[in-house]
Amino acid sequence: MAQNVTNVAQVEEVSSTRRVIAASSVGTLIEWYDFYIFGTLAKIISEQFFPKDNPTAALLATLATFAAGFVIRPFGALFFGRLGDLIGRKYTFLVTLVIMGGSTFAIGLVPGYKTIGFAAPAIVFVLRLLQGLALGGEYGGAATYVAEHSPEGKRGFWTSFIQTTATLGLFLALGIILIVRQTLGIEVFNDWGWRIPFILSVFLVGISVFIRMKMSESPLFAKMKKEGKTSANPLAESFQKKDNLKMVLVALLGATAGQGVVWYTGQFYALSFLQNACNIEFVQSNIIISVALLIGTPFFIVFGALSDKIGRKYIMMAGMLIAVISYRPIYTIMYSDANLKTKEAIEDKTVIKVKNEVKGADSLITTVTTKEFTDGTKFKETVKKKFPVDAELKAAMPKDKLKPETKKEVTLPQDLFYKMIGLVLIQVLFVTMVYGPIAAFLVEIFPTRIRYTSMSLPYHIGNGVFGGLVPLISTRLVEFTRPAPGAPPADPLFGLWYPIIIAAVCFVIGMLYISNKTNNLDTE
Amino acid sequence: MSVIKRIFGLLWAAMGLGIIPLAVMRAMQEIAEKPSEENWIFWSIVIVVLMPIISFSLITFGIFALKGEYDTLAN
Repeated sequence: MAQNVTNVAQVEEVSSTRRVIAASSVGTLIEWYDFYIFGTLAKIISEQFFPKDNPTAALLATLATFAAGFVIRPFGALFFGRLGDLIGRKYTFLVTLVIMGGSTFAIGLVPGYKTIGFAAPAIVFVLRLLQGLALGGEYGGAATYVAEHSPEGKRGFWTSFIQTTATLGLFLALGIILIVRQTLGIEVFNDWGWRIPFILSVFLVGISVFIRMKMSESPLFAKMKKEGKTSANPLAESFQKKDNLKMVLVALLGATAGQGVVWYTGQFYALSFLQNACNIEFVQSNIIISVALLIGTPFFIVFGALSDKIGRKYIMMAGMLIAVISYRPIYTIMYSDANLKTKEAIEDKTVIKVKNEVKGADSLITTVTTKEFTDGTKFKETVKKKFPVDAELKAAMPKDKLKPETKKEVTLPQDLFYKMIGLVLIQVLFVTMVYGPIAAFLVEIFPTRIRYTSMSLPYHIGNGVFGGLVPLISTRLVEFTRPAPGAPPADPLFGLWYPIIIAAVCFVIGMLYISNKTNNLDTE
Repeated sequence: MSVIKRIFGLLWAAMGLGIIPLAVMRAMQEIAEKPSEENWIFWSIVIVVLMPIISFSLITFGIFALKGEYDTLAN
């Protein structure tokens, strides 16, 4: 009889823990999805909301908005972290979810620049900031909430489910975008179909809010609140007390900064590199990343669980070190596999089609060149030249306005396609090593009374600022190697130096100053 | 080990101090050469957002390390 009661209690405990993990993870996953559709659709958003006169400026403006989304995250971490330590984890990360869902939905409804002028980018910018704020509050809450429910010795394993959400969120974003794009067709998608992934968010968030409403408060926080031990001023306690501040600093410089750059290089920079440096066709490049993410995701749990056995530090540090050593070789192979200069074209399979049409007062000449190579690679180049029909107007136009618009698309054969998936997968594995154990590491180094605030800030500075700026800084570093405007860069891999240097410094600091010991969570 | 940690503390603090003037000089040079919108946006983000975070955290961390605050491993 007593045995049965124990078994029932154990089953209930497991079921309750699963509910906690599922409810926390689904909400966090949706928040990441919301956050990533903006980044993934950066090019379309720049065309819709920013002046088209200078496409580079438009893209950079979008990247800046993207960065703003990341830069604002630490403020969200402070604001919601404080709330979470004052009023509780449950209500705080419920609020962040609602803000995120509302902002994403609203972005899907904002009229374009052509319709409402400068108000369009301004509104989008504000909504993007709200997204950043919400995300800043969400992750720390979810990680803390799950960690405070987890049994001792299994915290790495349980919190690793939260760690999968960022990657799964990106996967979901890429998947939904691809499905909508394929269903509607490219033109309709670029025109208005891109709004669907944003609007869809409101339904996903609705479901998640419903699930989270039914959850109870974290047991450690509830106990502490009952005993009147909660912090009166979590911000001051976190960052003005030397003992906590030094932990915040070591968490940032010895773990999260390196984790952030490895994370963004393996997922975002890899995609950007495939599309912009290797010119891999849109759908194929997204499939490469999606498949690699899908295969790699279970390893977050593997490394999270392993960290319960052998400690968090060495897994994270090994991930950083291998990334530092292998980024250049990996990207060299990726670049050379897609480099047409090293391939042999089949002469009779080269086709050039020229189409001349008049659109209003403009003449549009479209030249499409398709080539096939002996290794099975296909290449398509579309050059659009637009100029006024009137010769005088044409002569008066500035030269840069007459510059043709060129789009290059490389489609890899099956063997290189699989090889590319393998190369991205290796990078995703580095990500799982540095990211899988980090939630458990962060919650364990701070006390319960200020945990939400203290762990959120280094995480979002490391991940959001150091990591979030990888696309912007790396793209810019490659620009430095361009001998002349419009000329190909001398070193297309130069952008990798930013993540390599940050991860290397972080590795040294982590190795020197972080312990491999796992801690129990206290209620002080 | 504690001695190494303290010596490295000096290095972190020096890096934190040195990185700001280097970044500002580079920004001024690039903006002077090409005062485009792209340059302004990029360098504003680097100088206003990234550099203060790197600099402040490295200097403070370095000073803590130098004073022996991390002689016992952080956990």
